[in-house]
Amino acid sequence: MGANVLEFEVFSGGKVEINLSKCKQCESKACVDVCNSPNMGKVLELKDGIPALQKSLEDIKRGGCTECLGCELDCDLYGEQAIKITLPIKELDE
Amino acid sequence: MVKLYEHEGKEIFQKYGIDIPPGVLAFTPEEAKEKAVEIGLPVVIKAQIYSGKRGKSGGIIFAETENAVVEETRKLLGSKINGINVEKVLIEKKSEIKKEYYAAVLSNPNTRKPVVILSDAGGIDVEDSGSEHVEHQDVDIMKGYHSYDARNLSKKLGFAGKELMAISAVLNKMYDIYRHHDCKLIEINPLALTERGFSALDSKIDIDDDSIYRQKDLNIDPGEDVGDREPTCLENAAGEIDNNDHRGSAHFVQIDPTFEYSKEINKVPIGFDGVGTGVSLVMMDELVPLGFYPVNFCDTSGNPTASKLYRVTRIIFEQKGIQGYVFISCISSQQLDNTARGIIKALKEIYPKTGGVPDVPCIFVFRGAWDQDAIKMFDEHGISDCEWVQVAGRDVTEKEAAILFSDLYHKWKESTDSKEMGV
Repeated sequence: MGANVLEFEVFSGGKVEINLSKCKQCESKACVDVCNSPNMGKVLELKDGIPALQKSLEDIKRGGCTECLGCELDCDLYGEQAIKITLPIKELDE
Repeated sequence: MVKLYEHEGKEIFQKYGIDIPPGVLAFTPEEAKEKAVEIGLPVVIKAQIYSGKRGKSGGIIFAETENAVVEETRKLLGSKINGINVEKVLIEKKSEIKKEYYAAVLSNPNTRKPVVILSDAGGIDVEDSGSEHVEHQDVDIMKGYHSYDARNLSKKLGFAGKELMAISAVLNKMYDIYRHHDCKLIEINPLALTERGFSALDSKIDIDDDSIYRQKDLNIDPGEDVGDREPTCLENAAGEIDNNDHRGSAHFVQIDPTFEYSKEINKVPIGFDGVGTGVSLVMMDELVPLGFYPVNFCDTSGNPTASKLYRVTRIIFEQKGIQGYVFISCISSQQLDNTARGIIKALKEIYPKTGGVPDVPCIFVFRGAWDQDAIKMFDEHGISDCEWVQVAGRDVTEKEAAILFSDLYHKWKESTDSKEMGV
């Protein structure tokens, strides 16, 4: 995990990368909002004005992240386009 | 249900101590000749395809000489047996058969128990042999299948002495394979009495596809059961999605992988995804009379994650040549906002230049839990605004959705044709 990148792996295989250097200037913090909506994974929280994890990396990889993709899509629309979710598809991406 | 090839089944038999004739796979006539010499003539050349009735269809040929092996293998390889391409043959030592039997262990849906079947009328057309030649024995899965159970069954067909012990041992080993490999069916026809004792001259093994994840040593392709052909690359890719994530399901099968059939019946090939098999079938039935042919079947139900929808949508759009896409949900408790997120992320990656706006006609019908949120998301991401996209809700029936898609397609087609003609 780089100093300015928050990165975690998800259960189905793949990873979420958040470029925290962009998050400081983000006014909406839309990723944290959507992640803490009803029925969502509640993986992200706001700490010192930027997204942080409220679960351990192990718990997230075990299914703690519900892989709703809301953080990436809402960051894309209302935030600073700081989130990239990579979900490899075996055989298709090879 | 996943079928194993005869040679794969026989490898398992061998591991469990069931006798099989000496044999090897061959992919060319020259290789077949070489292997036949190694094994010793005469041999039997067997087309390796997922199909029964091979003997009657010319897929099993005996060869006495090296030249005959080359000649017959050349005829078989590349030919079609029961409509399936033959790409490999099994070269086996011809067995001297004293008598043929039939043995099977299968899951009986009526009793919800395994049933062991033994018949003294094995070989071709065992189904027509009559019930007096067939003995059945249900198995209590908690008690298991013991050697005395197998002996009791074998005695009913008149076995005694060494033969009774030998055939009972085969039945016990078959049951062990059935249990350890999560089979739905394991069948040996014929189970032949030869100079080596009881020998499995054929094998048919069907594995429960829900158990593939724990049958790793069998190296099974993860794709859905697609009948008599091998799963395609896209079907295997889709199979991996479910194997890696149990949350909800994504069943994807290519009905017309080459688009040849839709062309033959003069229908427009389209991609398809439905939430629920019932609604999928109804929707497909509505689309076909209007001139469309879904080249794939897909069911993403059981409340799958958005990431599952993302992956399966990318796979559907990977079918190059589709001239449209239809998504429809049944009214269910599935979180359709997650479904929508998965589709939107996929569209954004497939069509990056337009921000996810597709260049083929698409209809998305969200009906059920969080359907309004799903519809709103398509709007927020600017995908609903496109002239080739229709997003609908629970007030639309399958028939109406099919008509909406048809109208959309014809407008798109007219526009595309005009552009091509430079109008």
